[in-house]
Amino acid sequence: MASAPLLDREFLEKLERLAIRWQKSFAGLVGGHNRSRFPGAGQEFLDHRHFHHGDDLRAVNWRAYLRLEKLFLKMFQVEPRVPVRMLVDVSASMTAHGGEKFDYARRLAASLCYVGLVRLDAIEVHGFSNRMGHRILSNGGRHRFPAVMDGLSALNAGGPTDYLAVVREFIGTYSQRGLVIIISDFLDDGNCERALQYLSDYGHELMLLQIWADEDRTPPWTGELELRDAETGAGLKLDFDDGARQRYTHAFDEYAEAIQTMAHRSGGRYAGIATSMPLENVIFGDLIRLRGIA
Amino acid sequence: MYFLNLSLLQFATLFGAVSAISVALYLLDRSRRKQIVSTLRFWVAAEQPAVAARRRRIQQPWSLILQLASMLLLLLAIAQLRFGAPEQAGRDHVIVLDSSAWMAARSGNRTLMDAARQTARQYLQALPARDRVMLVRADALATPATTFESDHKKVEAAIQSTRPGSTALNLDQALDFARHVQAQTGRRAGEIAFIGTGRTAERDPGAAAPPRNLRVLLVPDAIENSGLRKIGVRRSTSDPDLWEIYVSAHNYGTRPRQAVLTLDFGPPSVVGRMPAGSRPLVLPPGGDAEASFEYRTAGAGILGVTMTPHDAFPADDQAELELPAQPRLSVTIYSNEPDLMKPALSASPRVTAVYRKPEEYRSNDPGLVILDRFIPLQRPVADSIWIDPPALGSPIPVRQTVEKVPFARWDAGHPAAAGLRARDFTLDRASVFEAAPGDGRIGEVDAGPVVVARPGKPKIVVLGFHPALSAMRYELATPLLFANLLRWVSPEIFRRAEVGGGSVGSVRLALDDDTAAKDVTVTAEDGSPVPFTLRDRALDFFAGAPGSVRVLAGDHEYMFALTLPQLWDTRWTPPADVRRGIPHFAPSLPTASDWWPWLALLGGAGLLAEWLLFGRFRIARFAVRRVAVHKTAELAEVRR
Repeated sequence: MASAPLLDREFLEKLERLAIRWQKSFAGLVGGHNRSRFPGAGQEFLDHRHFHHGDDLRAVNWRAYLRLEKLFLKMFQVEPRVPVRMLVDVSASMTAHGGEKFDYARRLAASLCYVGLVRLDAIEVHGFSNRMGHRILSNGGRHRFPAVMDGLSALNAGGPTDYLAVVREFIGTYSQRGLVIIISDFLDDGNCERALQYLSDYGHELMLLQIWADEDRTPPWTGELELRDAETGAGLKLDFDDGARQRYTHAFDEYAEAIQTMAHRSGGRYAGIATSMPLENVIFGDLIRLRGIA
Repeated sequence: MYFLNLSLLQFATLFGAVSAISVALYLLDRSRRKQIVSTLRFWVAAEQPAVAARRRRIQQPWSLILQLASMLLLLLAIAQLRFGAPEQAGRDHVIVLDSSAWMAARSGNRTLMDAARQTARQYLQALPARDRVMLVRADALATPATTFESDHKKVEAAIQSTRPGSTALNLDQALDFARHVQAQTGRRAGEIAFIGTGRTAERDPGAAAPPRNLRVLLVPDAIENSGLRKIGVRRSTSDPDLWEIYVSAHNYGTRPRQAVLTLDFGPPSVVGRMPAGSRPLVLPPGGDAEASFEYRTAGAGILGVTMTPHDAFPADDQAELELPAQPRLSVTIYSNEPDLMKPALSASPRVTAVYRKPEEYRSNDPGLVILDRFIPLQRPVADSIWIDPPALGSPIPVRQTVEKVPFARWDAGHPAAAGLRARDFTLDRASVFEAAPGDGRIGEVDAGPVVVARPGKPKIVVLGFHPALSAMRYELATPLLFANLLRWVSPEIFRRAEVGGGSVGSVRLALDDDTAAKDVTVTAEDGSPVPFTLRDRALDFFAGAPGSVRVLAGDHEYMFALTLPQLWDTRWTPPADVRRGIPHFAPSLPTASDWWPWLALLGGAGLLAEWLLFGRFRIARFAVRRVAVHKTAELAEVRR
């Protein structure tokens, strides 16, 4: 796709009051903006526990020791810096129907990167199809946003999708758990739910953003069709009428629901986004309702 | 309702073909939509049967109906559908107006052309205003004076400006042209009206019959006329200053006529001419009379031939021919024995010989220079003949000198050796020359050429022996050789000239056997080439306007003064079933309207609507919207 997912200044200004949120507690160094259940070197008291050999004596509750003659250690709540990774689908299916899904996905990814940059989050963006593409690092503040935009604009779509291979490569690359945002149409011939389940089971929190074009969910055509799969090139000839269209949409919705169920079951979040929806409505509507951003 | 451009059968065939192609395209391609989708998994889930290989029904019937209707409208526009009866439509008429030379004849106080113009105007006024008219002026060539004009005033102006030409009427060609041009227009053919006397050039027996829509408006021409038909003038073979003049006259009338032929000669203006002869003539009806004259003059001038008294058609009573002067070749002979050369050079009256001593030599003598056993310090500028030149200084190198050798042969292919046969003589002494590849080896002994002609400028001829001092002096070949050499050196001097007077039009000239096409040039008065054909010794060319034409064919020159008008005795009798007289057409009816622009617009709009509603427009619309989004974003980025 030659077109760049550019965002206008007014929209970016609106994004500045948002922050990316996650639900799981991840261990990590201080510096983030999401609370964690893991204690650390924070300011706010969390709990007491018995002192063990080697613990920091500065955290011993000496008042309790004087009263009870037992060593208790004070634990503090920490807001750790958690890695955020974003996987953007660049497979050939994203280019079907004029490539509007691909453009939309890049614009959505750019918006989330800008939200992260404003909050000094480090976001690593990868395009993927049957393997992960080059990393686009988004960190260091909003002034780094043009570089992120250039990286996203340079993404090229093509090739089939292989979620299992991508997840395997992702787990092999990143050992530290964190938030994984996947922007995709999730339309592959394999079982992407299983691959996503692997990713969740490994400890990552998933935010699944499913993009679809209106033609993907409700094909507008009627009559005799000669179809060709954008990724595999497989063909299919069929007669399509209103009844078949209803069955098609039902099957699509079932699939989207299955992905949503998987996401919720693993503690993640899911949003189905049609490309006909304005991007601003999606970010300030669906994603806030999901608590994906706040 | 009728079609102007197509018949009903043609229209039905065209529409059937277009409809069949359109329906076939729908069945084969249009009804099957090809689409690239993200995945096939949900389509398979839709569980629809696969499409049959052959289409059995139209997928978008309204689209097909709209398209067929649009094509029908476009075809109706092409066929020029008109409402009303075909008779209401205008027609295309062709007026063939005779503008031949004969139309200049006077009948009473006006010419035949005046009468023809008046008849043409009457015919034009009788035509309905909606009809278009083309005027064709017909003489030897049919020339359209206007296109098919609905503005009859323009046609009337063209009729008024028509003047008699110089050639005879070629009726068949004129009618054929009118029929052809009428068939080329898309409108309904009207009449072909011939207006003239019907006196035409000789007609081809195999010519097509007159067209069915021919109307003849004959102009009466009961005029007695006789005139000059042909004039031939040539120099006498015995006396170059004597002109032999042949005049032929013809009586085109029905009564015998007595006339007087008068010749005068002098400058181009009539004043100052001298009488050159006079002779009475008696011309029988439809017959010819000839007269011969002789006139002696060495100068150039105009020969006028007049037949008196004049009649109603004076254009053929007088002719003028230009007689050229007799050219002469100036020959300068440098010799100590001029008597040896005098017999050979005095034989031709076109040669003016001057004899000088070698010590009087000048290199800039004009014409031809003959050097008799003499080598000058500076070669002559003009053409030269070197007789027995010394070996040192010869213009063509001397290879060797031979003695007591028999003469071997003449080169019969060279024009300078034409007609030379004698070879049974012996040369006591002769120089053999080293001829160059382009040189003509006119005479040879066994050792090599002894008479060599070198073409170029100037031309050079060398003789290795003196003909008058060798055994050749007793041979007829000696004067012949000199005559040939003079002719080869200056062919224009010895060209035989003939002057002819005749009428304009096609001219045929019989040439000599040995005249090749490359040696023939035909030029007009201004020097421009005139197209001609040469077949079986007959040279044909055409002169459409009075003037002179010069024909050069080998050593012949023909001057044609084509100033007489071309007249023919043949009179065309129209068939009995041909319409005659000024017609009376039906009163003007309301003209049929042109509907084709509206039909074309409607058809185009239908196709556009079909494309917008059923075509690929929807896809194109989405693409446009996406492009618009990107353009807006780019603009914002630039502003930022």
